[in-house]
Amino acid sequence: MLVVAGGIAYAHEVRQERWRARLVSTLPGDVADDPALVAFARAEAPPIYAKHCAACHGADMRGNPEIGAPNLVDNVWLYGDGGVFEIERTILYGIRTGNSKSRSVTDMPAFGQRGVLSDADIHSVVQYLLKLSGRPYQVEAANEGRRIYTGNANCGDCHAGDARGDSYYGAPNLTVNVWNSGGSPEDLYKAIYFGEHHTMQAWFGTLSLFEIRALAVYLHVVSHEPAAAVRATLAARTAP
Amino acid sequence: MSATRVDGPVAPKRSWVRRAGERLIARPGRSSVLPLAAVVIGLALAALGMFRGAPAPLTEVPAGYVALVNQKGILLSDFISQVETATMKRFDEATPEEKSRVLRSMIDEELLVQRALVLDLPETTIEVREAMQQGVEAQVAEPYWALPPSDAELRAYYDKTRSEYTNDGTMTVHDLVMHVGGFQNANQSTPQALSDAAEAVYRLRSGASVDYVKEHYGFVDSNRLPAIEELDFVVKMRLGEKLFEVASALGNGDISDPVIEDDGVHVLVMDVRRPASVADFTSVRDKVYQAYRRAQGERATAENVKLLRSQAQIILAPGEEE
Repeated sequence: MLVVAGGIAYAHEVRQERWRARLVSTLPGDVADDPALVAFARAEAPPIYAKHCAACHGADMRGNPEIGAPNLVDNVWLYGDGGVFEIERTILYGIRTGNSKSRSVTDMPAFGQRGVLSDADIHSVVQYLLKLSGRPYQVEAANEGRRIYTGNANCGDCHAGDARGDSYYGAPNLTVNVWNSGGSPEDLYKAIYFGEHHTMQAWFGTLSLFEIRALAVYLHVVSHEPAAAVRATLAARTAP
Repeated sequence: MSATRVDGPVAPKRSWVRRAGERLIARPGRSSVLPLAAVVIGLALAALGMFRGAPAPLTEVPAGYVALVNQKGILLSDFISQVETATMKRFDEATPEEKSRVLRSMIDEELLVQRALVLDLPETTIEVREAMQQGVEAQVAEPYWALPPSDAELRAYYDKTRSEYTNDGTMTVHDLVMHVGGFQNANQSTPQALSDAAEAVYRLRSGASVDYVKEHYGFVDSNRLPAIEELDFVVKMRLGEKLFEVASALGNGDISDPVIEDDGVHVLVMDVRRPASVADFTSVRDKVYQAYRRAQGERATAENVKLLRSQAQIILAPGEEE
């Protein structure tokens, strides 16, 4: 009995190990195109996510604005393009870990606390952000906010002149109404006044390469599903 | 074909696994069989672990790596990243030659790093030690920097360190000197010079100009200091401690009493005095913020060192103390 059970378990483990090796040795850009590998990663990643990621990003993967932990299923990425490679880099080396391979080019300055912008300035910029993200706003204040955005605050240096952000810096797109630290006017005010400096630990050395790759593939796939569903719906609607 | 008589209900067909399990359980000695088997397997595994030698060196590159350099792996992910950085192309657009060149340079780098460890560069090279120290400091400081100060904390920090925000004082001062005792061919004695200087000071305080006292009393510019606005420390450096102390006590338009120095009798005429003052919080809040953040980093380092010390064995030679 024991021998048979052990044999079955061993055979299963050998098979799993082969899959793990295949998942890890495939180029990150090619994994998503291999349905078998994606299925394997999707089966393996949820327990890893639950154990190591859910505490910050939530069991439902929708993030936690209280600590600036991003929603992982909306396909809006702070760093990189949302591909397996970029997600994997973030998991490997983290964000602002002090490690030079981590994502740490810059952070959001504390414009209010440092006296760069007055309360009135920040209020105006908040109104401009409300306008950019398609919400009700005060017209005059938003116009003033735009001047400040492009003027002495130099927001465009990181968030780009068109406010669509720069994923190299981890500067969010301000036009899509996705806010990691909350999107209410008060939240936006706080972000500009106090700045933002969120961190994420580097998982290399704690998790195996397989676990990191499985998580990267899993996050890539689940984050693209809603978008794929929307695209499919739109395609169906516009089909002749 | 004979029929088999079955008394009572027909027994369901059982699998061989279940039958074997039932037989095992039905045996009189069943209570000791399973634990015994577990003990034997456990002992065998332990023995295997004890007597197995060190793991054999890898002869193949493990999955997820592109190379092994003296058993140290170069990550596929790092390789892709380095190729994209070096070639400014997507990885799949880089040519095989470009990829080879990058891999070669990564292997070379790894070899040099390994050599540095063999040479114990952290022990012998200050720059390496500093880089390592700064790397650790950066790592421990990051979590602290994720905690922005409140306005009240920033204000309290300013109050505690307000002496750091003192503006340098400035002054525009004339330093007149009446040479004595043969200095610069002057032939009057010090008491004579003091008497003349006292009269000159009286004149100056009564509204006479600097040029007037120069002309009528033989004062000249000391040439220690140009009569332009200068920072306090510059004035101190040029005039010396004694005259600076006198000058610091003067206000706008004040005339000093005569002061005896080696080269004669000096009189200071203060045109404009802007004493040192503590800058208000609003005007220096950016500096306060930066200093607070630096202090956060220093606190992180101090706490980290404290922790490391608590875990370290440090033995000092007799007579040595920290």
